[in-house]
Parts: sequence; structure tokens; C-alpha cells
Amino acid sequence: MTFRRSAPAALITAVVIVVAGVTFISDRLFSGLTASVERSQFQLMQSILDTALRNAADEALARADIVASLPVTKQAVAAKDRERLLAEYAEMFTVQKARRGIDQIQFHVPPAQSLLRLHDPSAFGDDLTRFRPIVVAVNREKAARKGVAIARGGPVIVGVTPVQDAKGAHVGSVEFGLDFGRLIDGLKAAYGLDFTVFIEEKPLREFAQGLNPAVLSEQNRLGRFIRFHTTNGAVMKELVGDADIATVNEPVRYTRDSQGLPYGVLLVALRDGAGESMGVIAVARDFSGSRAAAGRSLVWQICLGIFAIVILSGVVIVVLRGFLLRPLDVLDRRVAAMAAGERTTMLEETDKFCPEIQRLGENLERIETQRGERAP
Amino acid sequence: MRRVIFRRLVFALLVWTLGLPAHQAAAQENSLPTGKGLPIRVKAAVAFVEVSAFNENAGTFKATVDVRLRWEDPRLQRPAVEATDPPRVYRGAEVHAQLAKLWVPNVELVNRRGRATYAADGLRIYPDGRVDLIKRTSAEFTTAFDVERFPFDRQKLRLEVAIRDRTSDVVMLEFDQDDLDFSRAASTATLDGWDLGPVTLRNDPLIGWHGDSHARVQASLEVTRQSGAVAAAIFVPLFASLLIPLLGIWLNRTEDGKFQIETFEFVNLIVGGLFAVIALNFTVNSMYQVLSSGDNPVNRLFILNYVTLGISLMVNVLLFRFSVVERLLGRYVQEQLYLFLMWAVPLLVMTMASAVVLVALA
Repeated sequence: MTFRRSAPAALITAVVIVVAGVTFISDRLFSGLTASVERSQFQLMQSILDTALRNAADEALARADIVASLPVTKQAVAAKDRERLLAEYAEMFTVQKARRGIDQIQFHVPPAQSLLRLHDPSAFGDDLTRFRPIVVAVNREKAARKGVAIARGGPVIVGVTPVQDAKGAHVGSVEFGLDFGRLIDGLKAAYGLDFTVFIEEKPLREFAQGLNPAVLSEQNRLGRFIRFHTTNGAVMKELVGDADIATVNEPVRYTRDSQGLPYGVLLVALRDGAGESMGVIAVARDFSGSRAAAGRSLVWQICLGIFAIVILSGVVIVVLRGFLLRPLDVLDRRVAAMAAGERTTMLEETDKFCPEIQRLGENLERIETQRGERAP
Repeated sequence: MRRVIFRRLVFALLVWTLGLPAHQAAAQENSLPTGKGLPIRVKAAVAFVEVSAFNENAGTFKATVDVRLRWEDPRLQRPAVEATDPPRVYRGAEVHAQLAKLWVPNVELVNRRGRATYAADGLRIYPDGRVDLIKRTSAEFTTAFDVERFPFDRQKLRLEVAIRDRTSDVVMLEFDQDDLDFSRAASTATLDGWDLGPVTLRNDPLIGWHGDSHARVQASLEVTRQSGAVAAAIFVPLFASLLIPLLGIWLNRTEDGKFQIETFEFVNLIVGGLFAVIALNFTVNSMYQVLSSGDNPVNRLFILNYVTLGISLMVNVLLFRFSVVERLLGRYVQEQLYLFLMWAVPLLVMTMASAVVLVALA
């Protein structure tokens, strides 16, 4: 292989390897930044959800605390006086339901028996032990608790507070339940996120006897879950499938396209007071901004890489051939003429050659001159 | 005379006294329905019945939209015996008569431009006090849009529904799944050159005085440009015009480091190319005025055209005409530089042009 080809080839190969490597590393770094941005978005989504659920539960508990502390409650629960409780609180419940998203208020007596449901006064006296672990725990431990539960009217965010009589003896508990749908709709309006609440069908059918039957329709079924509430059915249907929510123990994060846009999806398990899984909340956010930025960055990095390779290759070629090989070629032709015994004169001006080549040319000139002087 | 005046005064007083309770009742019905507390929650949804035109240059679109507003007014609850009755439905003139008696959120289509060419209302009042008002409006609306990805862009035809006479502490606009289901483009709606997509709703309050805010919901109909024809009509000439300055470099030839063709012939070619690009630029900007400013693929390709013309002119002047490189570094360096530029310039220019298009597609 000639130097004319092998030297530029070797140098250009080195340039290509280095530039391609740098471009790849640069792309990885930028991808890492994009992934980091998306990770922080996922964390923000989780934080929004956790905070909203915690605040809603605190809100429910605060209301329950107030009602539990009222003398009327203490007396009526101690006396298991349903009529009095209903007379005192029916109007309050109506207002709270209409204005503040309170879905249900219930009074219980130990161990976990329903005394009065203000949202459904005709249903009372049933044992809640099987499906309301929070109520059982409050009446056993005589301490307030909050969480998520499947109540008679469907899944709710609850706060349950013990009720003590005038002497401080535990006589029962009072529970406030907040509507999931209203909370989720509020989050959608505030943050632009989309949500879907999936609840396990079996306990929902078994325990939520007062639930609107339309919720349990076939079109809301997804595996063993029922889509209880969603803020954007069309988008969320494409983002969350049966297999995705089948086993969600820890928060699950993934990205998927819906309606031509990439979304980040976060799945969080909903657990009742006993820690048993009762459903999944799916949160989705449009990731098209970060994905498009990553795509654009990749294109520009490849483009810059090609520029670097071409320009550096040009420098290699021009330097090797222009400064070295072409002048050598000129001198080579002259030497060849001398070897052939021809009388030669300098064909080219060599003053623009580099000094090393110029010296070679001058030496050839001297040889040629001496040869001319020796000639007869 | 006095008696007549006295009788008239008594009659007027009687009429005023009799009319007062009715007037007071009407005024009461027109007042805010605070029975369920404040803020009054008005649910908003927007359906695009028809989209007749989208003028990108003016930033407007013409459409017929249905804005559905739902709220509760406990004062309109009917007796329990009527609880299962169907809603009362009002259309045409009777709607306005009915609306005059009710409290109705003063909703404005903030980005409407000019007068509505058609407006009609439909009203339903349910026995439990729920009110469902649909306002159909045909008008021109302004919308902001971004051509950074032209012609592979998606735009949002926005409709801004706002209440500006009350703060959001008093009247609030919101939406739920039912409103999202209502908010869509009609299946019969089409828009030339665009594919219609879903409608999204977003809360975006308006800033008011003294830290107050006013409720606003933005309904955005997503439209995707049918890019095939536009891309061909604009990108083919832009890519073709890139070849002109490249010809100004390619067509020369060297023999033993000396250029063989006179420079002025290539400069003529380059100047012709410059006029061609200017003419193309003018034509494109006339068709798509919105492209004339800001950063977009078409502007980037025009800049690339001008830069390539500049490079070609520099090569002609510095190498072909004045042999600057030869004078500084020798004939053979100039020869090799020219041979390098012959393939490197087209490769780099086409790489950059492709990158511009790919970035728009990303």
C-alpha cells in the first residue's frame, strides 16, 4: 500500500474513531440529562400524588376530629342514638357533600359495627370487620387513623377518629370519607396530569354495595380491576393495559405513546389500612418536550461529528499531499529524468516547498550542476 | 285636576307596590346561586362542530364551536314529586326569555375576533337544579402557533373560555371526564391540509387586579399538517438551489495545480444563484408570511443557501481569481485544498440540510 493512500487512511481512521467516540459519549451524556429530567418529572408526579392523598386524608381526619370532640357526638354515640345523630348532622353532611367533596360520614361502635351512615341512613348495623381494617384498628387501639378504603359507596380517602364519652371512655368512632374523583379532577386542573383510579373488582363488588352499577360495567373492566375514575379515558386507555397493572407492588415507571405523543406513566399501588392492595392509581404526563429535545440533540451531535470528521480529514489530506507528497512527486520526476540520463532543469519553483523538501531540491540541483560540469 | 293627579299617583304607587315582589324575585334569581357556597363551580366543555379555515399568516381560524356550561342552582330545584321528570328544554327565543330569569355565568370567548356570524343557545334545566347551557358560535378566533417544526408541525387551535367579570374565588371554571368526552371535533369536521386530532382542556387562569385571578379554560383542537405536498413544494426548490453554488466550485478544473476556467464565469453563476434564492425566499414568505420571522426549518435552509453561496464566492475569489493559498503555501497545497473542497463542501452542506429537516421531524 502506498504512503499516499495508507498515511491519510490511517490518520483519517483515527479521526473517525475519536470523533465517533466523542459523539457517542456526548450523546450518552445528553441522554443521561434527559433521563434525569424525566426521573425528576416522575418524582414530581409521585410527590404530587402522595401529597394530595396525604392532605386529603388529613382533611378528612381533621373534620372527623372536630365532630368527635363535640358533646352531642359523644352523648349520641355513647347512647347509640341514631336519630339524634341524624338530626344533628344530616344538614351538615348535605352541605359538606355539595361544597367540599365529602362523600360519606359514618359513625361506628366497637368493635367495628356501623351505627349510622349519614350518606345512607337506611343501611346500618352491619359488621365492618372484614373490609374496613382502619375502623377495626381505631376501635381497638383507640387512636385516630387515616388512609384509603373501599366503603359502601366506593373507594374513599378516609379519616377515622375515636369518640370518647364525657368520662373519657371509648364509645365508638366517626369517619369522614372524601371523594376520589373530585380530588383527582382537582389535581388534573392544577397540574395538567392525567389520572386513572383502578380498583380491584372483587372487593369492590363485595363491599361497595351502594356503588353506581354503571361503574362496574364491562367497558370499565381491565383485568381484575375496574376503572373507577379517569381524567382522560382515551389517552389513559392507550397508556395503561391489563398487564401493566397486574402486579404493582412498588411504584412502576415507564414511557409509552398515546395519540402520537410520548407520555411518562407512573403506577402507584393503593393499599388499605391493613396494607392489602386494593387498586392502582395511574398518573400520566406528556413527555414530548424532553423526547423531542433528545431527538434534536442526537441529530445535531451526529451532524457536528460529521463536520469534525470531514474538516479534520481535509486537514490531513491537504497537509500530507499538498505539503509533502505532491512536492516529492515533482522531485521524483526530476530524479527519474536524471536516472534516465536526460538533461533536466528545475521544472517547478520550489520556494513554496517546506524547507526539508527545498533542501532536497537544492541538493538535486547541485548534483545536476556537477553532472553538467563533468560532462564532456 | 288635583284629584286626577292624586288618583294617578295612587295608581302608580299601587302598580309599583304590586310589581316590586316580582322584580325582587327576578333580581334574586339573577343573583349568584350561593346555595352551595363559593366558588360556584361551572363545568366547561368545548366541541368543534366545524373548522372552515385556518389562516396561518393572520394567526386565525374560523370555526363553529359548541361551548357547554354546566352548573347547579339550588333555587331551581323542583318539588320532590317532579324529581324524576325529564329536564326542561329551551331553544330559540324561549332560551333568552329563560336566561333572563336565571343567573348565567358571563362566559366570554376571549380570543374571538370580530363579531360572531352565528350564535344560538340551548338550555336544559334539570329537576335537581342542574343547568346545562350550550352556546353555539360561528366566528373567527385568533390562535398562537409555533412553526419551529414546519412543515412537520402540529398546531393547537385554541379557544379561550373565560369569566372576566368575576374572580375565580367567586366563579370557577373546571372540567371533568364528561366534559373531556364532550370536547372533540365532530366526525364530519375537516380542514384542508390538516388532520384533526383530539381536543384537550386546560385550566389557565387570567391574572386580575390586586392578585386576583379569573377563571379561564383553554380548549385546544390539535391539528397535524399534511406535510407531504408542502414539504415537496418548499424543500425541493430549497435543496435544488443549494446545487447552484456547488456547481460554482465543481465546474472548475486544475492541471498541475493551475485553474483552467476564468473566475467571472462562476461568479456569474453564483450571482444568478443569489437572485434565484432571493426570489424563492420572497415567494415562500409571500405564501407563508409566518415563516419570515423566527427560527424554523425553512429559514434555516435559506440561511444555509446564502452561506453556501458565500462559501462558493470565497472559493472563487480567493482560490480561482487571486490564488491566495498558492501565494501563501504553494501551488500544490492549493490544488489539494481545491480537491478537498470539491467533495467536502457538498457533503457538509447536504449534511446540514438533512440535519435541519431531521430536527424538524424529531
